[in-house]
Amino acid sequence: MLFRAPTADRRGHPMLEDPLVLARLQFALTAATHYMFVALTLGLAPYILGTQLVAVLRGDRSRMLSVRLWGGLYLVNYGMGVLSGLVMELQLALNWSGLHEMFGYTFAAPLAIETMTAFFIESTFLGLWIFGWDRMGRWAHLFCFTVVTVTAYSSAWWVLISNGFLRHPVGFTMVDGVAHLTDPVALMTNPAAVFAFLHVTSSALLVGALVVAAVSAYHLLRGEDPHRIFRRGMRFAAVVMTVMPFVVVTFGGLQFQIFGQDPPTSGLTYTAAEVEEIESAARSTIATTASTTGEIVMITAWTLMFFLGPVMLLAQFADLLNPLRWLPNLLPRRGAGRRTLAGRVPNWLRPSRWGLTLLLFSPFLPYLASVGGWVFRETNRQPWVVVHHLTTADAVTPMPPGAALVSFTLFTVAFAALAAVTYRLLVRFARLGPEGSPLAERREEGPRETPEPVHTF
Amino acid sequence: MDLLSASPPSAVLLSLFVVGYLVLAGSDIGLGMLMPHVARTPAERRRVAAAIAPYFLASEVWLVAALGVMAGLFPVLEHHVVGALWPVLVVLLAGWLFRDAGLWFRGQVDSARWRFACDTAIVTGSWTLALCWGLVLAGLLGGGASLNPFTVLGAVAVVWLFALRGAAFGAERLVGPDDESGAESADAAARATRTLARVALGTVAATAAVAAVAAAGTGSDGAGSGGSDGLVLTGPGIAVLLVTVLLAALGATSGLSGPILSRHTSALAIAVPGLLVALCAQLPVADMPGMTGVFVWSTLLPAVPVMLIGQVWLYRMTRRPAVPASFFA
Ligand code: HDD
Ligand code: HEM
Ligand code: HEM
Repeated sequence: MLFRAPTADRRGHPMLEDPLVLARLQFALTAATHYMFVALTLGLAPYILGTQLVAVLRGDRSRMLSVRLWGGLYLVNYGMGVLSGLVMELQLALNWSGLHEMFGYTFAAPLAIETMTAFFIESTFLGLWIFGWDRMGRWAHLFCFTVVTVTAYSSAWWVLISNGFLRHPVGFTMVDGVAHLTDPVALMTNPAAVFAFLHVTSSALLVGALVVAAVSAYHLLRGEDPHRIFRRGMRFAAVVMTVMPFVVVTFGGLQFQIFGQDPPTSGLTYTAAEVEEIESAARSTIATTASTTGEIVMITAWTLMFFLGPVMLLAQFADLLNPLRWLPNLLPRRGAGRRTLAGRVPNWLRPSRWGLTLLLFSPFLPYLASVGGWVFRETNRQPWVVVHHLTTADAVTPMPPGAALVSFTLFTVAFAALAAVTYRLLVRFARLGPEGSPLAERREEGPRETPEPVHTF
Repeated sequence: MDLLSASPPSAVLLSLFVVGYLVLAGSDIGLGMLMPHVARTPAERRRVAAAIAPYFLASEVWLVAALGVMAGLFPVLEHHVVGALWPVLVVLLAGWLFRDAGLWFRGQVDSARWRFACDTAIVTGSWTLALCWGLVLAGLLGGGASLNPFTVLGAVAVVWLFALRGAAFGAERLVGPDDESGAESADAAARATRTLARVALGTVAATAAVAAVAAAGTGSDGAGSGGSDGLVLTGPGIAVLLVTVLLAALGATSGLSGPILSRHTSALAIAVPGLLVALCAQLPVADMPGMTGVFVWSTLLPAVPVMLIGQVWLYRMTRRPAVPASFFA
C-alpha cells in the first residue's frame, strides 16, 4: 500500500485551522463528556434495579420512594447520555469518514448492532418505565427496568467491542484496501475489549457508589432521612467501595498485557518497517505527556478510593453516621435539654461531619479517574486510529478549515451548555430529595403554570 | 443502483427504519412545529409538550437504528450521504440536539422564562429538523446538496408534510380527558390539517412538474430519469406511482373529510418521500461481505421480538390523550 507520512504535510498549519487537530479535540471533548454521563448510568442502574426488586418483594413504600429519587437522577442523566451519544455517532460518520471507508464492516458493525439492539430496546423500555409508573403492575414495571439495565450494559459491551478493535484489531482480512470481517468470534473475544468492558463497568460502579454516597451525605448532614433512604445508600456505597477497587485493579492490570503486543493482523496493511517509520515520524511529546498524566491521575485516584471504602465501612459499623448521634448538636434549639457528653463536642470536631463533608466531594475521584483512563487509552494509541492499519491523519474527513471550525465551535458550545444544565439539574434534584424528584408522585396537582393567556410566539 | 436491488434483506431493514422514523417522528416533530399555532396559553403549551414527550423517545430510536444499519451494513452509502450532504447533516444534528434538550429539560425547572427558552428550542428545533430532512430527501433524489428548483421545492414540500402529520397527530392527542383544557388546541390542529394538505398538495405538484420538466429537458422518458441538475431516478414508473399516491392522499385530506382521515393520509403522505429515496434514488451501494451480514443478522434476530414488543406496548399504553403532568412537562 502507498505509504503516506501521517502528519508531514500538516506542519505548516496554525493549530486552529487544522481540521485534524480540531476533529481530534472535538472528539476528545465530546467523548469525555459522553462518558461522564455513561459512567453514572452504568453505576446507578444496578442499584436502582436492586432497590426496586426489594421494594417489590416486600411491598416496601419507602424503598419505592428511593427508586423515585435515584430513578429521577438516572433519567436526567440518561437524557444527556443519549444526546451526547448521538453526537458521538454522527461525529464519527461526519468527521472520521476514513475510518468508515476502511473499517466500516468491522469497526462500525458492532456500533450498528448496539444502536439496533441495545439502544432501541433501552429507550423504549425506559419510556415504558417512566410512563407506565402508575399504569402497569409492579412486576411488569420491575421487568421494564430490568430490560433497561441489561441493555445499558450491553450498550457498553458493543461500544467497547468497537473501541477494543481500534486498539487491537482482530478477525479480518484486507480486500482491496477494505477490511472484511472473517472471524466474528475473535472480534467478540478480543482481549482489548473484554478486559476493557470489565474494567469500565467495575469502575462505573465506583462512580455510581460515590454519587449515591455524596447525595446521601448531603441529606444526612442536614439530619433528614425519614425513610432511611440515605442510610441505606451509604451502606451500599461503603460495600461497593470496599469490594470494587479490587475488581477494577485486576482488569486494569490485565490490560497492560496488550501493551507492546502487535495485533494479530499487523502486516496486512503496512510492513513492519513502514509501521516503524510512521511511529517514529509521529512521536509527539504532547501525546506522551497526556497519556502519562492520564495514567497517573487514574492510579492516584484508585489508591485514594482503595482506602476510602474500608473507612466508610468502619464508620458504618461504629455507627458514626447515625444522625441521632449528632442531631442534638446540629439543631441546638431542640437538643438543649440533652446535655450528654457527645452533645457538648462542637460540630466541627465530630469525625462523622468531617467524613460526610468529604464525601460530598468524593465523586470527583472516580470521574477524574475515568476521564484520565480514557485519555491514557486513546492518546496511547496515537498516531494510529486503528493500530498498524490506519493513521489518525488518514482517517479524518477532508474538509475545509472553516467548516471544521464551525462544527467544532457549534458542538463544543452546545455540549458545554448541555453539560452545565444537566449538572445543575442533577445537583438540584439530588438536593430536593425523593419528594422533589422528577418521578415524584405529584400527579394530582392541577397545571403548575399560571393560566394567563399570553402570546409568546 | 437503487437501494433495494443491492442486498435485499438489509436494504428492506434500512428502508423500514427510515420510513418508520418519518411516519412516527413526523407526528412529534410536526406538532413541535405547530406549537405556536395550536397552543396560546402556558397550559396549552404544556399540554403540547406532554403530548410529544412519550413519543419522541420511541420514535427517534428508529432514526438511530437507521443510522446504525447504514454505518454497519452500507458504509459506502454512508460515505456518499455524508460527503454529499455534510453541511445539511451538521445543521440537522444541531437542530435535533436543541429540540431534544428543550423536551428533556422543559419540565425540570418551574419558571416561565425557562419554559419559554425550552419551548423556543422545541419549535425552532422542529422546524430545523423538518427542513433538513426535506433537504436530505430531496438532495438524495436530486443528487446532492446543490440548491436547484427541484431540491428547494422538494424540501419545502417535505416541510409541509411534517406539519400536516403534526396537525393530524395534534387533533387526536390534544383532546383532554376533561374536554375543557385541550379542546381549543385540538380544534386548531384539526382545522390546520386541511389548509396544510392544500399547501402541501400545491408544493408537491410543483415539485413533480419541475422534475418532469427536468426529465423532459434531457429528452428521456417518464417522470424524471436524467436531468441537467442530476435528477436521475432508477425506477421512473414506480416514482410516478408513488407521487400519484401522495397527491391522492393529500387531495383526500384537503377535501371535506380532511381531519377525519388525516391520521392515515398524513402517515401515507410522509412515507412517500422515504419510499421514493429507497426505491428510485440513484445511490452507491456495494455488496456487503457475507460474514458481516451473518454477524449482524444473527445478533439482530433475537432482539427483534423484544424491539417490537416494547414499541407496541409503549404505543398502546400512551395512546390515551396526554396525561396532565409527566416527567417532561
Ligand atoms: C474509576 C475509574 C478508574 C480507576 C479507579 C482505574 N481505571 Fe483504568 N481505566 C478507566 C477507569 C479507571 C477507564 C476510563 O474506564 C478506562 C479507559 C478505557 C478502559 O478500558 O477503561 C481505563 C483504562 C485503563 C487501561 C487501558 C489503557 C489502554 O488500553 O491504553 C489500563 C491498563 C488501566 N486502566 C489500568 C488501571 C489500573 C492499573 C488501575 C488501578 C491502579 C486503574 N486502571 C484504575
Ligand atoms: C467506543 C468508544 C470510542 C471510540 C470508538 C473512540 C474513537 C476515537 C476516535 C476515532 C478518535 C479520533 C482519532 C484519534 O485521535 O485517534 C478518538 C480520539 C480521542 N478519544 Fe476516543 N473513542 C472512544 C471513546 C472515548 C472516550 C469515552 C473518551 C473519554 C475521554 C475518549 C477520549 C479520546 C481522546 C482524548 C482522543 C484524542 C486522542 C488524540 O487525538 O490524541 N475516547 N477516539
Ligand atoms: C465512539 C464512541 C461512542 C459512540 C459513537 C457512542 C454512541 C452512543 C449513542 C448513539 C448513545 C445513545 C443511544 C444509546 O443508548 O446507545 C450512547 C449511549 C450510551 N453509551 Fe455511548 N458511545 C460511545 C462511547 C461510549 C463508551 C466508551 C461507553 C462505555 C463504555 C458507552 C456506553 C454507552 C451507554 C451505557 C449508553 C447508554 C446510557 C446513557 O445514555 O447514559 N459509549 N452512546
